[in-house]
Amino acid sequence: MTATPATAGPEVASREVSLELIGLTRRFGSVVALDGLTFSVPPGEVFGFLGPNGAGKTTAMRAIFGVVALEAGQVRWRGRPVTEEDRHRFGYMPEERGLYPSMQILDQLEYLGRLHDMTAPAARAAARGWIGRLGLAGRESAKLEALSHGNQQRVQLAAALMHDPELLVLDEPFAGLDPGGVDDMTAILAERARAGVTVLFSSHQLDLVEHVCEAVAIIHRGRVVAQGAVAGLERGARSRLAVRVAGDPAGGWARRLDPRVATVERVDADGTVLLVLAPDADSQRVLDAARAAGAVEHFSFATRRLSEVFREVTGEDA
Amino acid sequence: MTAAGPGSRRSANRRWLRLTAIVAEREIRQRVRSRAFAVSTIVLLLVVAAGVTIPAIVAHNAKPQRVGIVGGQAAAMTEIVTEAGHLTGTAVTVVREPSVAAAGAALRSGRLDVVLVDDREVVVKQVSVTGSGGSGGGLPAAIADVAGLSRLLGQLPPGASARGVTLPVRGLTPPAAGLSRRLTGLFTVVLVWILISAYGSQIAMGVGEEKANRIVEVILASVRPIQLLVGKVAGIGILALAQAALMVATFLGLGAAVGSSLVHGAAPGIVITGAVFLVLGYAFYCTAFAAAGSLVSRQSDVGTVILPVQIPLIIAYALSYTVIYANGANAFYHVLGFLPPTAPVAMPVLYAAGDVPAWQAAVSAALVAVGTVWMARTAATIYGRSILRTGSRVRLRQVLARDAGG
Repeated sequence: MTATPATAGPEVASREVSLELIGLTRRFGSVVALDGLTFSVPPGEVFGFLGPNGAGKTTAMRAIFGVVALEAGQVRWRGRPVTEEDRHRFGYMPEERGLYPSMQILDQLEYLGRLHDMTAPAARAAARGWIGRLGLAGRESAKLEALSHGNQQRVQLAAALMHDPELLVLDEPFAGLDPGGVDDMTAILAERARAGVTVLFSSHQLDLVEHVCEAVAIIHRGRVVAQGAVAGLERGARSRLAVRVAGDPAGGWARRLDPRVATVERVDADGTVLLVLAPDADSQRVLDAARAAGAVEHFSFATRRLSEVFREVTGEDA
Repeated sequence: MTAAGPGSRRSANRRWLRLTAIVAEREIRQRVRSRAFAVSTIVLLLVVAAGVTIPAIVAHNAKPQRVGIVGGQAAAMTEIVTEAGHLTGTAVTVVREPSVAAAGAALRSGRLDVVLVDDREVVVKQVSVTGSGGSGGGLPAAIADVAGLSRLLGQLPPGASARGVTLPVRGLTPPAAGLSRRLTGLFTVVLVWILISAYGSQIAMGVGEEKANRIVEVILASVRPIQLLVGKVAGIGILALAQAALMVATFLGLGAAVGSSLVHGAAPGIVITGAVFLVLGYAFYCTAFAAAGSLVSRQSDVGTVILPVQIPLIIAYALSYTVIYANGANAFYHVLGFLPPTAPVAMPVLYAAGDVPAWQAAVSAALVAVGTVWMARTAATIYGRSILRTGSRVRLRQVLARDAGG
């Protein structure tokens, strides 16, 4: 576990922020759920919130809504401490889905909309709109329990979106969705972000996160261990190169490189050498060395998968 | 957190009430729509209707009343008794008794129901205070009327007014203080008991459902636990009161229509006392049921956690029958009448049975009101602390031991 959070470049600090979690601390008995958790989420972006099971993601999300009491720390919205009025303009999809099983879905959504300060007619209209949008038209008077698991999930999403929230917090929104459901969810999250909504969601499906999010925070044992733009995290702090030279499956040429230029991280079975470029070193010197060793079949800047980053900073599998 | 001006506070209060009202409205709407509500309302009304009309019908078709006659002209007296039987719709059998003493013995042993002594008096075993609640319905009074009138008719010119000629009706034993009052008291207690336990367990089930389904997490993201709690018990309470009002209206309306003796006993005091303690009892118990419901993590556990809440009610309810059917309450039951958990059931019984004066009922009501405030605070704390706790069932001691920061 790294002690200092790895951040990807100075652009994070200069960006506008809407949601800030500052030093959130909460213990449950001897278990530390949040240990001074600090990160911020810019508006109009889909922000991924990652971490192994038990890292404190759900507790942090609950803290945003005030449903879990904090021992220390503060949740801020648009530069000031979050208020109850603010929370009425937030949308929440908790990890443990929960709606009334024997209530008709239209009534249910209307009810939840009204609890977020909508008038009854506006809430009803919005409920109909989302029911149609999520492919549930004609099921308005169905009871929730009569719907399939995936459709219940859609209703749960509609419940979070009903009142056109300024902040959308979704705990594992992709869990249990079929590919069509994943596409719908992705499209809706992207659309909301484009409309200026701050979208924060947690997930274990890192391939999906890579695809959906612009930026992420990775937390472990209640602390942020990495955060920043997805592209930056994947590039890493130092540039890496993937080079393959014909006729040298062991990558012997690379081991002769000056360590002040680059060092070998690993050699793959097909002879591709993964190199970490020294700071300020010129990648062309590596190319020169490779060409001197033989025909260069492959030369590129290497990126890590988000899952690799995750494994590195948490020491755990995704 | 918000600006503390009086205007913003007022608008915050309005908002608080509005959200609470939305919660209450959902409770009412969902229940009124359910088949279970329609069925339970109809069943309760049928029970009330049966309770009122069947005794009245039975009284009208009472077993033939055996009327003893002592002295005088047997034929004339038989005619009087038969006429009184016609008037009250009661079949009568006339039996000649040799003496007042013999007739009295027959009354005591139950061989006779009423005795007409010549032109002088009508004797029954026990006079009913309300005049119609005693054995044989209105027969003794009718015999007294007819006999008095026929004695007079022989002496008066035609057209003369015949008022105040009824023979005295004498009872052999002191009158029982309003059996019908007691029965009205019983009706009240049954109503209080049914409504508190039925609606109380609905509250606990509803809270347990919300917790088990985790919908609380969605709702508590926009309302506070106390609003959810108040909205729920207010919504269900309004329904409980509406159902109670319907039952009382049926009781009074049908009772008046069939001339039930139960309704004659429904002195306004008993009805008011019953209503006050119904409201207080609901208020006292509703938050306790909600707190109990918030401890479970599966809905199936609700039955287990509400039993301790119901025990005081069960005790008071079970003992109330002994008070109603025996004459008077013992000291223990009097104590129950002043303890907030048992008073909502015990006090209406004591009052209906005439065992306590009105001021004592008022003192008891005040004690329950104080107890309700305490209970609401405690229950709201328990509810607020345990409603979002998942995992195994929350122990009460755990919840109460935690500091306010939890």
